[in-house]
Amino acid sequence: MRIINDVIEQISHTNFEQETQTQEILAQELDKILDALLTSSEDISAAIISSVDGHSKAQRLEADMDEHRFAAMSSALLALSDNLASEGGKGNTENVLIEGTNGKIFLLHAGPKHLLTVFTHNCGSLGMPLAYAKQATEQIAALMEVLAS
Amino acid sequence: MDKIIFAGPVGAGKTTAIGSISEIPPVGTDVTCTDESAQIKEKTTVAMDYSYITLDDGTRIHLYGTPGQDRFDFMWQILAKDGIGLVLLINRDHPDPLHQLGFYLNAFADFIQETGVVIGLTKSDISDKHDISKFQDFLYERQQVFPVFDVDARSEDDIKVLVHALLAVLNH
Repeated sequence: MRIINDVIEQISHTNFEQETQTQEILAQELDKILDALLTSSEDISAAIISSVDGHSKAQRLEADMDEHRFAAMSSALLALSDNLASEGGKGNTENVLIEGTNGKIFLLHAGPKHLLTVFTHNCGSLGMPLAYAKQATEQIAALMEVLAS
Repeated sequence: MDKIIFAGPVGAGKTTAIGSISEIPPVGTDVTCTDESAQIKEKTTVAMDYSYITLDDGTRIHLYGTPGQDRFDFMWQILAKDGIGLVLLINRDHPDPLHQLGFYLNAFADFIQETGVVIGLTKSDISDKHDISKFQDFLYERQQVFPVFDVDARSEDDIKVLVHALLAVLNH
């Protein structure tokens, strides 16, 4: 019985270590994706990757931006947009664009369980930042798929 | 517009309750749980539920359900704006439902003060750990008198009783 308990403990310990290691790798890789995104375009000022249920996974936000609030707000907005698009007969949400007076924000799905929110300065063109953001979502989705397998 | 807000913790049955009395397919924003909530249920509301019912006199009552997790408290404020009253659902099967009741009464204190509230205790069929009198005593200690009902969130009749009780409180 003791041996069984020892084995169970060892397995749990190994699982826990593996899980922790996976989470660390995930965090590092997501950070790299965000760093690359922010250096790809001067127009991009901040970005956050969150889960569909509103948890922050990685962020490059400005100091006064609360990552937990932005993660939750992003997931709420994208979920509602998905409904609007689908019930309005427009299919899946490609992105959500908010045009503010001081800049733009866009939200995109990044695989089935994550999303990316990108903040831009008051730039003229949205094309390049959006293209880079789309590229980042593909990288996030691919990363999640690899880690899940 | 007569708008009632359904609030309460994760897994209390807010989405189910709105679905039980809805006249239309409700608008929902359910997504996959990626955290410890996944142990309670597979999906969770992140923005809102919406539906409506029509009373016998033809009045349409709009029903808005809030997300349970407090990281979505910004939605509570958005949805409660211009609401006429609150249906607070508390899961009786939770280890500490009185704490949850206190938390949500505090979170919606201003709204309750301006409008009114009724409390529905859900999952009574799977838990008798906490007698309804405990909730009434808890409210009494807080010097608050609110109607408390045992309800099944899946039951159209039960949820209609809650809504009608709230309307009665508001008209009082």
